[in-house]
Amino acid sequence: MPAKAGIHPRVVMPAKAGIQNRPQDILDTSLRWYDNILERFGMSSAEHRLLRQTLQNFVAKEIEPGALERDQKEHFDLNLFRKLADLGLLGITAPEIYGGSEMDAVAAVITHEELAYSDPGLCLAYLAHAMLCVNNLAVNASESQKKTYLPKLCSGEWVGCMAMSEPDVGTDILGMKTSAKRIDNHYVINGRKMWITNGVLDASGKPADITYLYAKTGEQISTFIVTPDCEGFSVGQKIMGKTGMRASSTAELVFENAKVPVENLVGEEGDSIKHMMRNLEIERVTLAAIGLGIGKRCLDIMIGYANERKAFGKPIAAFGQIQQHIANSYAEYQAASAYVYQTAQSDMSRLNSDGVKLIAAPMAKKVADSAMQVLGGNGYVSEYVAERLWRDAKLLEIGGGTLEAHQKNISADLLKRGGFESCGDRF
Amino acid sequence: MKILVTIKRVTDYEAKLQIDSSGNKIKLDGVNMIANPFDEIAVEEALRLKEKHDGEVCVLSIGTADATQQIRAAMAMGADRGILVKTDNPLDCTALSQVIAHVAGEEKPDLVFMGKQAIDDDSHQVAEMVAERMGAPQATQAYKVSVEGDWVTVVREADGGLETVSVKMPCVVTSDLRLNEPRYASLPGIMKAKKKPLDERELSTLGLSIKQSMTIQKLELPPTKTTGEMVPDVQTLVSKLHDVEKVL
Ligand SMILES: Cc1cc2nc3c(=O)[nH]c(=O)nc-3n(C[C@H](O)[C@H](O)[C@H](O)COP(=O)(O)OP(=O)(O)OC[C@H]3O[C@@H](n4cnc5c(N)ncnc54)[C@H](O)[C@@H]3O)c2cc1C
Repeated sequence: MPAKAGIHPRVVMPAKAGIQNRPQDILDTSLRWYDNILERFGMSSAEHRLLRQTLQNFVAKEIEPGALERDQKEHFDLNLFRKLADLGLLGITAPEIYGGSEMDAVAAVITHEELAYSDPGLCLAYLAHAMLCVNNLAVNASESQKKTYLPKLCSGEWVGCMAMSEPDVGTDILGMKTSAKRIDNHYVINGRKMWITNGVLDASGKPADITYLYAKTGEQISTFIVTPDCEGFSVGQKIMGKTGMRASSTAELVFENAKVPVENLVGEEGDSIKHMMRNLEIERVTLAAIGLGIGKRCLDIMIGYANERKAFGKPIAAFGQIQQHIANSYAEYQAASAYVYQTAQSDMSRLNSDGVKLIAAPMAKKVADSAMQVLGGNGYVSEYVAERLWRDAKLLEIGGGTLEAHQKNISADLLKRGGFESCGDRF
Repeated sequence: MKILVTIKRVTDYEAKLQIDSSGNKIKLDGVNMIANPFDEIAVEEALRLKEKHDGEVCVLSIGTADATQQIRAAMAMGADRGILVKTDNPLDCTALSQVIAHVAGEEKPDLVFMGKQAIDDDSHQVAEMVAERMGAPQATQAYKVSVEGDWVTVVREADGGLETVSVKMPCVVTSDLRLNEPRYASLPGIMKAKKKPLDERELSTLGLSIKQSMTIQKLELPPTKTTGEMVPDVQTLVSKLHDVEKVL
C-alpha cells in the first residue's frame, strides 16, 4: 500500500520538495536571470485595469463586428491584425527600445482574455505572433537580431510565426525530423513543419515575414530565423476546414535544401531546449487566458439569454437546471481565472504553466457547452456566438500541448519531487 | 498653447442603474464608472490641437479619489498632467463652475475645453457658468474646431443647423458628439501615464466658499416601456390616442 500522503506529518516526505531541487536540470536557476517578462512585476493594478478597459472598448468596436464572418470564411484579417499594432499590442512584452510596450505577464493574460472574449481565432493568430515569435525573439535572440527583427514585428509591418510541430511529430517534439546542416556560411534545412499558425498570410500562399524555426543539428535542436526570401522555403498548403480558430490561418511549411545564413541562428547550436523553456510559461498561460475569454463571454451569453427567454410563463432563469449551468460555469470560470492570474502574477513555473492550461481549456469547452444548452436551438447556430466559441475552445485541449501532455508533465514533475507543498507555502 | 480639459467620472451608459434606499442617490456599488464621453471627445480634440500647435494639455477632475482612474486614462491617451480636486460630496453645477473657474484662474490656460454636458445628470450648464465666471467668451457644442493666432473658430451644432463662431482666447469651448472619435489609449501610453504628474488637492484647501444651490430630493426610474400594440387602422389609432392615452 502506498503511504497515506498528506495525513502524516510533513517530515516523512522524502527530500524537501521545494524549488531548490527541481528535477529538470534544464530548469537550472542559472538560466533564469535573462531579461524576461517573468521577472517584470512592475505594473500596478490601476494600469492593468486601464489596459482591460481600453481593450474592451477596442474589442467591442473593432473586433466583434467581423468575428462571425471571419469564422465562416476562414479568413485571417491582416488589416485588422495590424490595427492591434496601433495600440502597441503586437510587441506587448518586448522591450521599449525595440518598439515594444514592455508590459508584464498579467497584461499579456488580460489582453488574450479580452481578445478571445470576442474572437479566439484572431487571438490565436495574435498569440502566435506576439508570444510564440516576438517574445521568443525578445528573450532568446542576440542584440543585433533583436534590432533587425523586433521593430518591424512590433509595428505590424511584419507578421511572425513559430514552427515546431511536424506532420509526424507533435507531443514527442524531441523526435522532430527537420534537419539543419551547416555548409560554409549557411545552414541547409530539410523537412516539413505542420499546423503553423500564421505560417501563411493570405490566399495566394504568402508565408509569414518571420518564421521562428526549430530544426535538428545532429542530435540537438537549434533555432533559426527564416525569412520569405530564403531559397528552398515555401508554404506547402494552407490547412482548411479547421473545427474552430478559423480566423487564424494555419499552414504546412516545406524546407527543401533551404539556405539560411548563419547569422540567423538564434543563440548557439543546440540551444533550443533552453530557448523553449524560457518561453514556455508565457505561451501556455496566454493559451489558458484564451480559455478565460471564452468562459467569460459564454457566461455573459447564457446569463443574458436566461433572463430574457421565457418558457412555461417564466424566464428560463427560474428553472433550477438552468441555474445549475450558470452557477457551475461561474464557479469554474472563477477557479480557472484565479489560477491563471495567480500564475501570471507570481507563480510562473513549468508545473503551473501545464496546470493552468489543463484547467482552463476544459473549463472553456464546458462553459461554452453550457451556454449552448441554455440557448437551446439558438445555441446551435452561429448568430448566437456560443457554438463558435465551443468549436474554438476545443483547440485549447490540443494546441500548445495536449491535455495528455500536460498531465504527463505535471505528474512527472510531482512524482520526481516526491511531494507537493505549494499551498502550505502560500498561506 | 495651454489647454485645460475637464473630465467627470460618471456611471457607464450601459449600466443598469438602481436607486439607493435613501431615494435620492444612485447605487454605485459594482456599477462600472467611465469618463463622461463628451469629455473624452474634448480630451481628443485638445490632443489634436496640441499636436498641431504645440503646448500642454492638463486634465482636471473634481470628485472622489477614484477619479484618478479617469485622469490616468486621459494621460494614457496623451494628456501631460492632471489635477484632481477631491471631494466626497457631489457638487451641483454652480459649485462645479466655481471650482473649475478657480483652477482656471490659477492655471491660466488659453483654452478651457469641456464636454457640452455630462451624461449622468445631463445639466448642460457648467461650461456656460465657467465662461461667465472667467469673463471669457464661449463657443459650445463644437462640431469642428480650428485655431489661428489668438482666435478659435468653432463650427457648432445649433438647433437650426451649423453655426460658425469665432472667439478670442482665453475662452471656453465645449464638445459635441460628432467632433471626433477619441483615440484608444496605447499600451506605451498606459506605461507612461504613471510617470506623469497628478496633483491631488482637497476641495477644502482651495479657500473657496462653496455654495450649493441645489439638493436632490428624490430620484425615480423612468417608467418601464410596455410593448407596442398593432392597431388595424388610423381610426382606431386616433381614438386610442384620444381616449386611452389622452394625448390628443
Ligand atoms: C489550430 C492549430 C494551431 C497550431 N499552431 C501551431 C503553431 O503555431 N506552431 C507549432 O509548432 N504547432 C502548432 N500546432 C500543433 C500543436 O501544438 C500539436 O497539434 C500538438 O502539440 C499535438 O501534436 P500532434 O497533433 O502531433 O498530436 P500527437 O502528438 O500525435 O498526439 C496524438 C494523441 O496522442 C496523445 N499522446 C501523444 N503522446 C502521448 C503520451 N506520451 N502519453 C499519452 N498520450 C500521448 C496526445 O495527447 C493526443 O491525444 C497547432 C495545432 C493546431 C490544431
